[in-house]
Amino acid sequence: MKDNAVSQWGKVGVELSKLLKILTLNVAQATHNLARRKDPIKDKTVSAKGKVRVEVHGLWKIFGSGTEQIIGSELQSESKETILEKTGCVVAVRGVSFKVKQGEFFVIMGLSGSGKSTLIRMLLRLIEPTAGEILIDGEDVCSYNERQLTKLRRHTTSMVFQHFGLLPHRNVIDNVAYGLKVRGVAKKKRYPSAQKVIETVGLKGWESYLPYALSGGMQQRVGLARALATDPEILLMDEPFSGLDPLIRREMQDELLDIQEKVKKTIIFVTHDLHEALKLGNRIAIMRDGGIIQIGTPEEVITAPIDAYVREFVKDATPARVLTARNIMEQPHILLYDWQGPGAALYILTTAKLDNAFLVNRAGKLLGLVTAERLKELIQKNSTEIADALEPDLPTCTPDTVVEDLFPLAASTLYPVPVVDDQGKLNGEIHTSTILVSMIQAKEAEEEEAVKEKEIAA
Amino acid sequence: MIEFREFLQFLVEFPELLRIPLAEWIDTAMSWLLINWAAAFDVIGDTILAILLNIERSLLWLPWTAIVVLVGVVAWGVMRLWWAGVIMAAFLILIGTFGYWDLAMMTLAIIISAVIISFSLGLPTGIIMARSNRFEAIIKPVLDAMQTMPSFVYLIPALMFFGLGKVPAVFATIIYAVPPVIRLTNVGIRQVPQSVIEAAKAFGANSRQILFEVQIPLAIPSIMVGINQTTMMALAMVVIASMIGARGLGLEVLLAINRIEVGRGFEAGLCIVLLAIMIDRMTHALAARQEKILTSEAKV
Repeated sequence: MKDNAVSQWGKVGVELSKLLKILTLNVAQATHNLARRKDPIKDKTVSAKGKVRVEVHGLWKIFGSGTEQIIGSELQSESKETILEKTGCVVAVRGVSFKVKQGEFFVIMGLSGSGKSTLIRMLLRLIEPTAGEILIDGEDVCSYNERQLTKLRRHTTSMVFQHFGLLPHRNVIDNVAYGLKVRGVAKKKRYPSAQKVIETVGLKGWESYLPYALSGGMQQRVGLARALATDPEILLMDEPFSGLDPLIRREMQDELLDIQEKVKKTIIFVTHDLHEALKLGNRIAIMRDGGIIQIGTPEEVITAPIDAYVREFVKDATPARVLTARNIMEQPHILLYDWQGPGAALYILTTAKLDNAFLVNRAGKLLGLVTAERLKELIQKNSTEIADALEPDLPTCTPDTVVEDLFPLAASTLYPVPVVDDQGKLNGEIHTSTILVSMIQAKEAEEEEAVKEKEIAA
Repeated sequence: MIEFREFLQFLVEFPELLRIPLAEWIDTAMSWLLINWAAAFDVIGDTILAILLNIERSLLWLPWTAIVVLVGVVAWGVMRLWWAGVIMAAFLILIGTFGYWDLAMMTLAIIISAVIISFSLGLPTGIIMARSNRFEAIIKPVLDAMQTMPSFVYLIPALMFFGLGKVPAVFATIIYAVPPVIRLTNVGIRQVPQSVIEAAKAFGANSRQILFEVQIPLAIPSIMVGINQTTMMALAMVVIASMIGARGLGLEVLLAINRIEVGRGFEAGLCIVLLAIMIDRMTHALAARQEKILTSEAKV
């Protein structure tokens, strides 16, 4: 019965991969047609529902002297290089406009030097804008005096930085409670709130350590906790995970999504990483040379890049390409070890209600797959060598194998496909059904997009 | 003809007409200060004297055993090595065995009060300097001049303002020793990572909160180095300051030079060296420890 099901799934898989190829071509065509859409700077993508929290109109930042002359003159539309050559001024942000709604996760993406960090700093006036309007909850931040600005920073917003910006001489709990301390909250009151947030970000037990004793990932958790401790309505994040290694980055992203699910803040998040932007953002603004060249949902950005620059950016990010074995693999419920006898192994298998499991050695290296059937045979033959129970011809894949390439592997076996890294260690397993589910989801999203694009084109 | 000779002489010998009477000007200014600001100098003198006498009295009042134990324990605590504490205590006993206990305590009192006053003047100056580029541009050359000027020069205004005795000695010592603490406070505050200050700002910290909760705490290692250097420079003034009436080890060295008593001079000199090592090691260890806590962050 089970065998039957597996082979049927295999067939579906082959059909799907054909479908995928056709669709990819279609989408590429649609993409190409839409790429000529005009007027990218106006933010039309914001939904009609919900309250606008942050609104930016024609925001400029030019570093240098005599910057007023540039804005409004014909120089305004010149390239960054021309302006630098003619006036000696550096344009960091040019005429940016966007709106962010209550509870939205808004991602600003761009390469380094595109002005995204300057932009997010201007929202709090950590950098003074040269021209333009910033409205937070309808109030013009640019016209704020020192006292109003301080109030905004203390009560409405908080920020997470790429380089953490923790106080090195204060321990974790004092760092987390810093925003409350600045507000003038008494120690007795601010410590319990800080403690709560520390637990939210998973730093319980580290309260009294100084930042230098913590790893980069943990330091950024402190940074995040500090931002959350003041219970701000708007959370600004400037490349918070860029300094972390990929594994921890992913973990932190997941946690941020979890937290966002619970607290529903309005988040403005700056990153240079497209995958991060696609994963986190409700909407993405892509910046180049100081200007926003496209704003849209992740799907829109992927399927309808506005110009060659964005297309180059998203080239490698069509859904089936993005997903690799690493993204969809699962941890095996049980593992068998090469020093266990067949009897013990069979006992473990049957109590776990499984009929097969991977066999690894002490170092976690994959030796093969053992089935309950083979184990029973071994026990009947009075053999004690568990290695004899290994299934022959077991296909394997690496964490970087893309999902498309997993199909033939999955079709060729009745068992889960083990994910093995370059040292031969078992990282996880992939079930045929997982591959299909992930593919179907990706396809559905893509089809929906294609339909939408056709509507727009019509 | 006579005119021509005079002209020649003008070219050869430096003419008396081209003389800037800087000395007279300074003298005039000094006497003007002395007459019109006498009250201010009295206040300054009294303050210095009060600080100095209190420190000196307590050092002389404490039993030597107490001081030895105190120094040993402090050295142990600061350097985190038990034998360092033992060595520091032994140095102090060694000074006593030369028969210079009381004189050493007097010298120590001058140094401590000079350092305390230098610190309380230098810290605010350094802070202002760090916050204002213009002030820094003005103060920096003044500090350079203060440090390159031969230390004897400071004895003259000190003498004029306060006469002979301990007060002018401390005053001259302060002028000579204050630059490092100003300089290193300035450098320390300027070196605080911009990222930390920016984060504090983003959370709504005002400039007072940033100064006291971020900049000064993070500048402490640098300030500690400044205090260490200031202490060393104060020690270097000990012998010179004794020329205007500061009693203590310096005077012993001075007397020994005048009377060509090599042994006596060597003993007193050795005591100064021992004091220097003790103070230097302890303040240095304190600075290094602060440094360690804060710079390990910078690496991450």
